[in-house]
Amino acid sequence: MKQYPLLLLVAAIFLSAGCKKEENQTAKNVELSITFKALYDGTKLVKNSDYSYDTYKVQFSRFSTYISDITLLNGTEEVKVSDIEYLDFTPDGAADNNAVDITIKATVKEGNYTGIRMGYGVNPVNNAKRPADFAAGTPLAQEGEYWPGWKSYIFTKIEGQGDGNNDGNQDIFMLYHCGADKSYRVYSYDKAITVAGNSALSVEFDLKNLFYGNNTWFDITIPSNQFTSNLATDTRVAGILMDNFDQATTVK
Amino acid sequence: MKKIYFIGGLLGLLFWAGCDPNTNPAPEEGDLLQYTYSPQDYVIKKPDHFPQVPIPADNPQTYAGVQLGRHLFYDPILSADSTMSCASCHLAQNSFTDGKAVSTGIDGIMGKRNSMSLLNVAYIQPVIASNDTFALFWDGRSKSLEDQALRPVEDQIELHNTWPNLVEKLKKHPEYPKMFREAFGITDRSEITKELAAKAMAQFERIMISSGQSIFDRYLAGETTLLQDEALDGKIMFFDEGGVGLPDAECFHCHGVGTLTGKGFFENGLDPFNALTDIGMEHVSGNPDDRGKFRVPTIRNIEMSAPYMHDGRFQTLEEVVDHYLFHSLLDTPYPNPNMALIVNKRAQYTQYHKTALVAFLKTLTDTDFVNNPDLKSPY
Repeated sequence: MKQYPLLLLVAAIFLSAGCKKEENQTAKNVELSITFKALYDGTKLVKNSDYSYDTYKVQFSRFSTYISDITLLNGTEEVKVSDIEYLDFTPDGAADNNAVDITIKATVKEGNYTGIRMGYGVNPVNNAKRPADFAAGTPLAQEGEYWPGWKSYIFTKIEGQGDGNNDGNQDIFMLYHCGADKSYRVYSYDKAITVAGNSALSVEFDLKNLFYGNNTWFDITIPSNQFTSNLATDTRVAGILMDNFDQATTVK
Repeated sequence: MKKIYFIGGLLGLLFWAGCDPNTNPAPEEGDLLQYTYSPQDYVIKKPDHFPQVPIPADNPQTYAGVQLGRHLFYDPILSADSTMSCASCHLAQNSFTDGKAVSTGIDGIMGKRNSMSLLNVAYIQPVIASNDTFALFWDGRSKSLEDQALRPVEDQIELHNTWPNLVEKLKKHPEYPKMFREAFGITDRSEITKELAAKAMAQFERIMISSGQSIFDRYLAGETTLLQDEALDGKIMFFDEGGVGLPDAECFHCHGVGTLTGKGFFENGLDPFNALTDIGMEHVSGNPDDRGKFRVPTIRNIEMSAPYMHDGRFQTLEEVVDHYLFHSLLDTPYPNPNMALIVNKRAQYTQYHKTALVAFLKTLTDTDFVNNPDLKSPY
């Protein structure tokens, strides 16, 4: 009869240990969602709407971009969130012209992180491949986002128009298709990020800050500034925009 | 006494008709179990430089599914009066178009749009907007091949049938119930549905892939001498590859690479904005900014799929290129910037450039595709 309390104790210890083990396992990996948003001067981007640009007005009709290797940082520790994402903020056929918010979800190790790193465009390893190399339906299988002339994906598409002389007519047409390895950029952002339970981050791209920095507007009244070059070696305009993604990005 | 013989004769006829399995099969549970269901994967052939063919998880390709779809595609049983099938407006020899400006349905009513080529239709990428998904038809009203295959049957200016009527015919048909069993594993004919018929037709349409034997494809595969002179200059202009005296034609922005089947919907400067008679994608999305936008068609086999544009207004490739280089308009509130690039370069284009682009487009002709026996009528 004396054995029963002992058996019960042993069973309780096993049960307790089993529960702890399960708790530890489930606590290690949790869901993290990241919502990407497109803005202009701090407010949600609206396709084909007038925005102040220097002394005149512009409108944007398209904004899409690839983001590579989204990684959470914590000192020397790095946790990959996503290899590649294609973000189309202005899809055709939307019922209204508000830029869409795009949320991705990933399972990552819970913990406290000190920042996040993102690649703007398609990293050189993937950019050396072609759409035919990727599984159907995946971001890099899209033929419309690849240009053989560069042997590169089109990292970012920004299209629009402007009324450069304020006469009511759209006389500026902007066509920025940035690509080629020389245009690829990687930026990190310091940010205390606690991943526990269902955590959420917000990453905002403000188009104004792609064109405005150091109190200077990128002058789009100059014809050669209205489009990106077709030459993979000429990344002057693409480089300016890809450089500016750093200041145009806010992590919240 | 004669009346009794007459009534007896009538009853006999009715009894005999009732016993005919072809005209009135007994709707028995499990009546198709006598046929084997052993689906075999159908691996779609494609050129090496083409992306993998997207296959929806709920409709895997099987030999039996493709064969059922092929039979349905070519069978006039689809129309109310059994005179027209899908193939009536999508003829293989025309790269699965019908050679007419706009198509005519069973009642002789003309549609308002040109029959689209089905070549590489499996690669049409849906555009996913916040409120819906757009992919097929000129205005994107259908989100998938499975959804698209449902629509012409009940369209009043196409096959003008009803799905309940067609499904009943399929259930009573001497061959189709067995084929549905082999394709989808149903156990009795009462399980035949319009959704399964659409899935089969979608499977057949997904195998309509380029052969990879066009001159351009062979050039890409290494036979570089096949593209010379005008055609080579046209290719340089088409893909904006630069070249002395060869201004970019900006074609690839919309027509993509590889399959040359683009993603998305564009306004292409055909008519003044206020004179548009077909509002295109706006009809589906309800967004006025989509007015005059149409889906980018494949330009593969374009030499065989005249006439051109959503309303079939151009009879020749020369007219098409002439439009883009010399006559396209920017007369919309939100013009496509790629069109703006063309318009702004208009003074640089010459008749030679038009000839060169047409010569390049003709290198996309793929006779192996239209002669592919797997795509021909099974009847």
